[in-house]
Amino acid sequence: MNKPLVSTPRPDAAIQVRQLRVSLSGSPVLHGIDLVFKKGRWTSMVGPNGAGKSTLLKAMAGLLPHTGEVALLGRSLASVPGRDRAKQLAWLGQNEGGADELTAYDVTMLGRLPHQAWLAAPSDADRAAVEQALRSTQAWEWRSRPLGHLSGGERQRVLLARALAVQAEVLLMDEPLANLDPPHQSDWLDMVRALVSEGKTVVSVLHELGMALQSQDVVVVQAGRVMYAGATASPDAHRAIEDVFDRRLLVQAVGDQWVALPQQGKPAESKGRA
Amino acid sequence: MPDQHRLARWLGALLLLGATLALLLGAGVGSTGFESVLNASSDPVAWQIIWDIRLPRTLGAWLAGALLGLAGAVAQGLFRNPLADPFLLGSASGASLGVAVALALFGVSPYATEWLVRLGLTGAAFAGAVGGVLLTLALAKGVHHTLRLLLAGVIVGVVLGAVKDLITIAVPDILQAMQAFMLGSTGFVGWTACGVMAATLLPAMAVAWALSQVLDGLTLGEATAHSLGLPLAPMRAALVAVLALATGSAVAQTGLIAFVGLAAPHLVRSIVKTTHGRLIALSALMGGLLLMVADVLARWLIAPQELPVGVLTAVLGGSYLLWLMHRRSARGGFL
Amino acid sequence: MKALMKKLMVVALVFAVLPAWAIQVRDDRGVTVTLPSPPQRIVSTLPSLTETVCELGACQRLVGVDRYSNFPASVRSLPQVGGGIDPNVEAIVALKPDLVLMAVSSRGVERLESLGLKVVALEPKSAVDVQRVLGVVGQLLEARDAQRVWRVIDAGVHAAAQSLPPKAKSMRVYFEVNQGPYAAGQSSFIGETLARLGVQNIIAAELGPFPKINPEYVVRANPDLIMIGARNADNLAQRPGWAALQAIRDKRICVFSPEESDVLVRPGPRMADAARIMAHCITKQAR
Repeated sequence: MNKPLVSTPRPDAAIQVRQLRVSLSGSPVLHGIDLVFKKGRWTSMVGPNGAGKSTLLKAMAGLLPHTGEVALLGRSLASVPGRDRAKQLAWLGQNEGGADELTAYDVTMLGRLPHQAWLAAPSDADRAAVEQALRSTQAWEWRSRPLGHLSGGERQRVLLARALAVQAEVLLMDEPLANLDPPHQSDWLDMVRALVSEGKTVVSVLHELGMALQSQDVVVVQAGRVMYAGATASPDAHRAIEDVFDRRLLVQAVGDQWVALPQQGKPAESKGRA
Repeated sequence: MPDQHRLARWLGALLLLGATLALLLGAGVGSTGFESVLNASSDPVAWQIIWDIRLPRTLGAWLAGALLGLAGAVAQGLFRNPLADPFLLGSASGASLGVAVALALFGVSPYATEWLVRLGLTGAAFAGAVGGVLLTLALAKGVHHTLRLLLAGVIVGVVLGAVKDLITIAVPDILQAMQAFMLGSTGFVGWTACGVMAATLLPAMAVAWALSQVLDGLTLGEATAHSLGLPLAPMRAALVAVLALATGSAVAQTGLIAFVGLAAPHLVRSIVKTTHGRLIALSALMGGLLLMVADVLARWLIAPQELPVGVLTAVLGGSYLLWLMHRRSARGGFL
Repeated sequence: MKALMKKLMVVALVFAVLPAWAIQVRDDRGVTVTLPSPPQRIVSTLPSLTETVCELGACQRLVGVDRYSNFPASVRSLPQVGGGIDPNVEAIVALKPDLVLMAVSSRGVERLESLGLKVVALEPKSAVDVQRVLGVVGQLLEARDAQRVWRVIDAGVHAAAQSLPPKAKSMRVYFEVNQGPYAAGQSSFIGETLARLGVQNIIAAELGPFPKINPEYVVRANPDLIMIGARNADNLAQRPGWAALQAIRDKRICVFSPEESDVLVRPGPRMADAARIMAHCITKQAR
């Protein structure tokens, strides 16, 4: 159910992607992607390893060279000045190591950089945003601890807080649940739902299909192409997800939620014994 | 956990206090010992020793150390590598080559007036350091890729070193003079040299402090830094310029003194965890104190003889870092 | 009125003559240094300059030397002010010298001058330099007999050359200065002495004064005599191809003690001694 491409950006689109192609090291990774992400909705992006999900997300964030168009909140991404883009779009990447020496508070405060005037000290608004972000990821208690002293999950929550502190309209998150234990994954879910209810747009690349199935919209990616883009709670979406994972899982309803259950290889598709 | 911001302020104050004490101490030690201080009011030579030799030398050691500490903090932030050192981008080899070329062309000819040679050598070292960095930038095709910059720096270092060796083989007369100039020493720093270094230190610190945000952003990775709207390329170029000027200025006045630029930021980070704005300022203060103390000890330990100051910076900085590593591994932490 | 004119005349005369009492020399940097009177407190930071001062009879005016100056024995008890590359500025100033003799390549020259000291930079590298430096230092010390000293030295070298048997003239010599191996070429000071002595130097002239040569070069040139310092003389036979050298097998090696090496490598007033040391060894080996 791909939305047809349009030459003028839609007003209700947070991000619109038109004929996006990306090549890495000479070989094409994304082949002509067309997508619309509506405002105020949570979209998850799923697909097998190497499908190009992270690449797509990065290109949408303007972090990779690409051909084709990316429009952010109605304007072409290339025409938006860096600071404005930074205020409107927050990015949380995978494996963001290295800030070991900074405290959780300082790292989160980095998220306020787009809002701070040159060389200005943090304002009250900045401090309030940082506190709110750290509290919403349950990291406020140990805000003075350097990142190097934190566990993987605690670190991830601080990095998440950093992205939240930007208070951007659009949040793009690549594998945000890395290292998070189930309670904190649930916290993350609550947080995303709260953001969406405030009218923010969230796009998250997720490995955890159980979480992905909680989202409102889903984009299923395989081999650099979009196999499905639309509502998550629809049979077409479930079929697409099962297909791209070689039918090794089955999407089932449990109560009023959907889960993905692993399946053994079907006899018709089992490979010959080695 | 103590409040890191307050800790940073205390550290800064402590380093300044330490520097003042070391300056006073530096005025009192040397090959003529404390008698010069006692005789200063009566003996004009003793006064000259205190005022024209010991004080500018000690202060110059602080200034050179501050320049190197500043450059080290910038280098480690730019390359996100704790092993980075201000001499990384070809500045050391460039300075040596600059001095070699100047000596081969003008140096020991009987027709060179002495002040031209003096200005020439210091200027040549400075120009060579900056030139080495520019060459590295050209080789790395800009500041976009950190790894390419590092690699280019290594290549430039090796190539320029080889060219310098060729020159010294072709004109072996310059070997002594070159050694004399490049040997790390604070012994020839007078008030003029102090003025030149101070004139570089203040703007370098101001610019580095203004650009420290980009270094903070880079700690989260290039993608995140870009997403925060930081204009990475021009800011990185400006930081490389600061690195080149600060290093060139220090090398031109005091030769090659290793370890200060590498150790000063580490020493600061072992005490306080803070963002790059404060880290750079504190690294400068720490580097200044480190080199100053090394200079005082170099004059004191075997007075009336002197030890080379590079030996002491390595001993002081190195033993503290070794102790730190030992403490961390005993606690079971990483490294 | 007449008395006043007389006084003015005297004063004018004094001022007219005063410059003539000052000493002016041009050092190796090309700088003209003026001293109001002959220096009485001299610091020297180059061993050959120390020896030159002493050779001209002004040893007692030395108040400080570098750590490498060791001849004559009396200078060893003088305060040491660092080395040529790393002079100790404070120590030099504290000695209140009215003249500092330094090498041109030393970094301390500008610093000391900026502190108000008189610095004359001289760096003898060849036999011609030795004569010139003797002249300049002689001028500074107002020593009348600088030229005579030179003639004595020159005559000594000449006598050493004369003392060699005729067979020595055809000897081909290899002089190794340092590990590397660095050899003494024809344009070096040592090479000049060898030339005065009349022997052949296996190092080609175009290689420069102190070339770093390939040990193979020596094997191909097959010298009749090897001259080397005691510090570097171990394991000569172990060098590739050297065990077959005629000079090694016949033990035609001149090994110089550290004191002798000092004399040989310094372009200074002991040139004649250097020539004599070499001549002595050549004579011994020429048998």
